[in-house]
Amino acid sequence: MFHWLEKHPFFFAVGVFLVISFAGLVEILPNFAQQSRPVIGTAPYSTLELAGRHVYIKNSCNACHSQLVRPFKSETDRYGHYSLSGEYAYDRPFLWGSKRTGPDLMRVGNYRTTDWHENHMKDPAGVVPGSIMPAYRWMFTNTADIDTAFAEQLTVAQFFSVPYNQPVPMKDGSTKVVKMGGSVAEANALALAEAELIAADMKDQDVKDAVANGQIPEIVALIAYMNSLK
Amino acid sequence: MDIAQLQAYGYFTLITILVIGLYSYIYHLYTKKKDADGVDYESYSNMALKDDIDDTPVAPISEDEVPVEGVKRNRRDI
Amino acid sequence: MENRPLEYDYTVAKMFMLTTIVLGIVGMLVGVILAFQLAYPELNLVLGEGLAEYTNFSRLRPLHTDAVIFGFTLSGVFATWYYVGQRVLKVSMAESKLLMFLGKLHFWLYLVVVAAVVVSLLAGVTTSKEYAEFEWPIDIAVVVVWVIFGISMFGLIGIRREKSLYISVWYYIATFLGIAMLYLFNNMEIPTILGQSAAGESGIGAWYHSVSMYAGTNDALVQWWYGHNAVAFGFTVPIVAMIYYFLPKESGQAIYSYKLSLLSFWGLMFVYLWAGGHHLLYSTVPDWMQTMGSIFSVILILPSWGSAINMLLTMKGEWQQVAASPLIKFMVLGSTFYMFSTLEGPIQAIKSVNAIAHFTDWIVGHVHDGVLGWVGFMIMAALYHMAPRVFKREIYSKSLMAAQFWIQTVGVVLYFTSMWIAGITQGMMWRAHDEFGNLAYSFIDTVTVLHPYYAIRGIGGLLYLVGFLMFAYNIYKTMSARRVEESELQNASPMGA
Repeated sequence: MFHWLEKHPFFFAVGVFLVISFAGLVEILPNFAQQSRPVIGTAPYSTLELAGRHVYIKNSCNACHSQLVRPFKSETDRYGHYSLSGEYAYDRPFLWGSKRTGPDLMRVGNYRTTDWHENHMKDPAGVVPGSIMPAYRWMFTNTADIDTAFAEQLTVAQFFSVPYNQPVPMKDGSTKVVKMGGSVAEANALALAEAELIAADMKDQDVKDAVANGQIPEIVALIAYMNSLK
Repeated sequence: MDIAQLQAYGYFTLITILVIGLYSYIYHLYTKKKDADGVDYESYSNMALKDDIDDTPVAPISEDEVPVEGVKRNRRDI
Repeated sequence: MENRPLEYDYTVAKMFMLTTIVLGIVGMLVGVILAFQLAYPELNLVLGEGLAEYTNFSRLRPLHTDAVIFGFTLSGVFATWYYVGQRVLKVSMAESKLLMFLGKLHFWLYLVVVAAVVVSLLAGVTTSKEYAEFEWPIDIAVVVVWVIFGISMFGLIGIRREKSLYISVWYYIATFLGIAMLYLFNNMEIPTILGQSAAGESGIGAWYHSVSMYAGTNDALVQWWYGHNAVAFGFTVPIVAMIYYFLPKESGQAIYSYKLSLLSFWGLMFVYLWAGGHHLLYSTVPDWMQTMGSIFSVILILPSWGSAINMLLTMKGEWQQVAASPLIKFMVLGSTFYMFSTLEGPIQAIKSVNAIAHFTDWIVGHVHDGVLGWVGFMIMAALYHMAPRVFKREIYSKSLMAAQFWIQTVGVVLYFTSMWIAGITQGMMWRAHDEFGNLAYSFIDTVTVLHPYYAIRGIGGLLYLVGFLMFAYNIYKTMSARRVEESELQNASPMGA
């Protein structure tokens, strides 16, 4: 049987393809729809948070930090409640990471502040003695790409029905509306309003000046994203 | 019968068939010396060992190249 | 054609040999830099504060993995295909102008994609998915290159003289199909230019940006189905193809069992794809998938060892060759490392072991004993075997090759032992509680304790890089070494002192 296949490359290739696609069909297909439903309390990312997420991705933070709390006492003690599938419903792509050179960041918004992040990103070893994390000082001067974040919001709202400008149920029974601008100018204005709140808690005068001038440095967007991780 | 029970029976049947199939195939391979073309299956190793462009193919694709043991085609220096 | 005797045409193979070596040096050099950055963080500023963004660990890390996987390894796969393919099918690329053209086109387009990848990763343009970091324009280019490779491969098979396909060809076909399927599905994404035009807007933001088709847990599931099997079909399948050709050829021994190779081939094809779930143990993917990933990972030992044992038994009665030839040493140690890492992998995939090992350096160590010990050794051995035949010259120096072998072996051993210790130390410290049930260590304690192991790992990696430079030099000098007659090239490769 098999050496017939070996003499007929086309059928051989078909055979190989059938065999290797089998696992994917069984494992991946059935759970697709069910997996992606958000749990209560999970809201879409705002424009600024999304821009911060892009900064996180641009610098491959996920190479050293996971965003996945496993259901062990040692992990829930350290990082908070273990992860639920629905909490990732708006994560495109997922950022679980595969290596914890640094700690998990799934719920970093619960225990770190804007001020802490600002100092830490400038000089990690100054905040955490012995830290091997490099400094990310260029984030204080590079400007965040709000336009691309807005384009992504438009895309996910269009193709994946992400509920922007709609009430989303929260854990305490209230609802929350995450706003998405109707135009580029509006999106930038929304992001800037959010950035001003973050910049108010920061010390770096250049960052404060930039935000006052309508520019949003990457660090502000990144901190907005970090604070949203809860 | 509910779906889980059907799945279980299906799974068991599939595994049984696969196991029987695999072992009878192994038995077949190891008891039968020659394949459909009358070639000893292990001699296919020669595809790697005798792979000069003028070596005779183990199982030639065209009819006119009958394999003759140890003879090279188009050998220019003979 | 009848005026000149027909010969195999290695033009394309030579081109890819060059990129194998160049991209190998790039990938490994970046790897060594990364290793030392973890031990000595000030190296993140190696080119000064102004360029810190581009010399930073996190920016360089995808460059290292992609340079080694898609640069070094894939080039090696292409180089050996354009060599082995012709030989076992007994057909020369010189016989078809079209195939020759496709082969060269394949090479040049591949180079363009490599350049685009390097620039985009340094600029931070990435989707963040491991080994699938490229944004959609590069994805499309990758697919084009891959399709050309496929046409070129099946074209050569189409005009073959040998009716039956040799084992290596099965594995090359599987490599082509496997990576094609995985890459396409994992990189399903919607460019934001499409999204905004659907919303009636245009020209907003970066044109190359895209959004993954899958969200959260689904995305993770598809990514690790890809991630694990990209390893399978990039680091295992084509490397097995190489050893099935080069070890018998170099040693002059027929494969121990052709039948066993058949069984392990189909076994590997069936089992491998199930094992991706072991990257997601204790995550939010459904339990049954995690269990499935775990079980199939253990089953995977069988087909993997089937191939590895077949290789070792091929040397039966000929073990003096291992002592005599450094080239055979590379291949035998390569298949030994293959056995070792295909045993280590399943152990790490057992749920309770994974609870400690996941997210630690033990995983990094596992990847590297596979890639340095198995993939790297096998590709270098393949190139060493090919060099005298494509250049028609003896290998420049046997003693240099032997020295390289031992230096790199020490490098690999330092690498994986230090990472074992580092990984298990960190895994145990993370979960340690004191008598009151509080965490015994803060996170930073578990980082500083790793410093010596990171330093040792860096040295191991450096030794491997030094060995690779010796390899590059040896191949370079081979191009001007003593000429040899083709009749001397039946089995064992000729080597100078």
